[in-house]
Amino acid sequence: MSSNRWLATGNYFTSYTEEQRVFATSLDRTVMCVFLCILFAWPLFFNVGNKYMLVIDNILVAVIAVIGLNLVTGFAGLISIGHAAFVGIGAYTVASFCRVLGDSHLVITHCWPLLIVLAGFMGALFGAIVGLPALRLKHLYLAIATLSFQMIFQWTINFMDFFDQGQTISVGRVFWVTGKVARKEHYLFWYYVILVVIVIVSFGVRNLLRTRYGRCLVAVRDNDRAADAMGMHPGLIKVYAFGLAGFCAGVAGALHAYLYRGVGFDSFTLHHSINYLAMAIVGGLGTLQGAFWGPLAIRVLDLQVERLSEWVGSHLTAATNLTTALRPLSFGLVIVLFLMFEPRGIANWWRIVRSYVKLWPFRY
Amino acid sequence: MKKNNVIKWTFLLAAIGVLTLPAQALAGEVYKLGLSLAITGPTSDAGNPYSKGVEDYFNFVNDTKMLGDDKIECTIRDDQYKNDITKRNFEDFLDQGIVFYLNYSTGSTLALKNDFEEEQIPVLPASFHAGNLVDSNYIFLPIASYSAQMIGLTEYVSKNHKGGKPKVAMFIHPSAFGRGPVEDVKKAVAAGLDVEIVEVVEHGKDLDNTAMLKRLSSKGVQYVLSHTVQSPVATMLKDASSLGLVATSFGEEGKITFLGAHYTGGNDLVALAGDSAENFYWTTSYIVTSEPGEGTDLQLALAKKYNRDEKAANSHNYANGMMVAQVATEVIRRAKSKGKEITKETLYEELLGMNGDNAFSPKTTVGDVTFSETDHAGVDTLQLYVVKNSTFMSEGSPFVPEYTDKIK
Repeated sequence: MSSNRWLATGNYFTSYTEEQRVFATSLDRTVMCVFLCILFAWPLFFNVGNKYMLVIDNILVAVIAVIGLNLVTGFAGLISIGHAAFVGIGAYTVASFCRVLGDSHLVITHCWPLLIVLAGFMGALFGAIVGLPALRLKHLYLAIATLSFQMIFQWTINFMDFFDQGQTISVGRVFWVTGKVARKEHYLFWYYVILVVIVIVSFGVRNLLRTRYGRCLVAVRDNDRAADAMGMHPGLIKVYAFGLAGFCAGVAGALHAYLYRGVGFDSFTLHHSINYLAMAIVGGLGTLQGAFWGPLAIRVLDLQVERLSEWVGSHLTAATNLTTALRPLSFGLVIVLFLMFEPRGIANWWRIVRSYVKLWPFRY
Repeated sequence: MKKNNVIKWTFLLAAIGVLTLPAQALAGEVYKLGLSLAITGPTSDAGNPYSKGVEDYFNFVNDTKMLGDDKIECTIRDDQYKNDITKRNFEDFLDQGIVFYLNYSTGSTLALKNDFEEEQIPVLPASFHAGNLVDSNYIFLPIASYSAQMIGLTEYVSKNHKGGKPKVAMFIHPSAFGRGPVEDVKKAVAAGLDVEIVEVVEHGKDLDNTAMLKRLSSKGVQYVLSHTVQSPVATMLKDASSLGLVATSFGEEGKITFLGAHYTGGNDLVALAGDSAENFYWTTSYIVTSEPGEGTDLQLALAKKYNRDEKAANSHNYANGMMVAQVATEVIRRAKSKGKEITKETLYEELLGMNGDNAFSPKTTVGDVTFSETDHAGVDTLQLYVVKNSTFMSEGSPFVPEYTDKIK
């Protein structure tokens, strides 16, 4: 490592501690601090309509969910196609309280931070249970096991009277130190809450990956027999990976419930699970940055295709079938193109840009 | 040279200002409305003609200067039957400053109920689910609820069945939309409606209903009441036809008579089921184009004016869309004629006052639209239709189900 921590270039480390730093250089830390300040400050200077605040909040919720999916699929190498069900577990934890206590009960409106954490633990519990087949199953077989959980979740919600058979269960408005969060500040309030959660979860994951509890995930992914020989317990680690993923998903679900002020079955279907997987792939599996890029890219693409479909629909009235096909087509195409040409996802482009800036004006 | 240019440009700008300012001053108000619905995706077979009906009627209002120089600007957005997208569209419409909102699905209407209450905005959904009105002040159903429709059909079965207690099965959509009326029909039966509900079937995405029909037949079911969309009903009718189970006359012994609520019928059903749709009984509050009248003439003329194809022109969902646009236009017209400012509040007041002598007749329905503080269902009257020679024909006179009030 360079003695000047502002101008460090390259990957020259003299100790493991140096390599495991959260920020490689002081410049990285400063840039991150400035970036966070911008993220927290921009809503004070720009007035964005409720629609776009909702879109932004939605992207941020997806970021938390994808961080979880990245832990299990990216870092631990275990494919999960039931991630939306874990998100649903978190959302329905909040909804269950609403059903039992009423949607405007003190617990819902005042103790919401606790409920969000509780939803995370419920997600972790279900994640660990669903992870149990990972003790015996691998690859496609494990994928099918997670798929079956998705199906069980959907069936249960859709048919149980307690969950109102999938109809929207409303969630009351929360209170903050300034009083009840009114409708006009709802999306801004949740923007800050979700942002804080993202910062905590991201630093948590970044730190986890510096510890043996995080490195063991990568070890099991790369070679579980070798990990076993090194004294790790691959089975337990897989269950633990599912638990971690479930926690993040549960938190995301609870935030979704509060953001939308309701929980309905149709936000947690198989289609959403595939969507989360696509976000993880497009963002870059096995990287923390990928969990930010993926949701952003997929949601923005979705919005743009929606706009294009609307435009095509308004100009070619007979082209309804084309507009119907545009969304799944573009979605599928993006995944295929990324898998073919950039399997490391957008995170790799980010890495290239960063190293270019870092090395500039030298080429290498 | 420079000075000359400045003078020239100043004059030009002044001229433009003089010419455009009076035009702006003379231009009327623009009233913004929003509609979010499934133009693509699930149930788009209903949503697509519905959106065309809304679009064409508002264009007609603007083109014929029905509101004088004022115009209605209704933004129509596709939500693909997804509640999250509906919510986003609704927020977008609010950002645009809408004064009236047209919604579509049962799921999204229920999901956004709290938002409607907080925004205090009048809402006309395409969903006739009775549950929309529970704990809601701002949602208005255009016509009789699904529950009323299903109770009406059950009453018809009870009154016209010969010999013993009729055995019926309900064939419903696996969603809030489908399940809504089941409890109400059961309540009506408990309140004395003389039928026996043998089974309630939630259909999946089955491409074959043979086993289900055989099972119903073996249980002695003589009537199947459907509350879903057209395609599952068409599949069921085709299978029943293959099995020789379709009754050729109402209540034919040993056979099954099929009946359905608003979204099960219409020309799309005939197109999908072909001859198997013969003798299908259907109820709605809309007048269909095979029963010509003032309203259907307007419907066909409108579709022709805006170059819609035959299918859309004859769709009852086109009439459905037209009708909600008619109601929205009417409340704006009434508020305007009273010199009121067009706001969410004044339009809401006008809707509540739409009763008695102020009831509105859109001509596209079999009865008048009436709303009040206590009645948020528009047209209470229903008409029964039956398919004869691939055409829906009226069966009897318009009626109001008796048991809807009894179970309240």
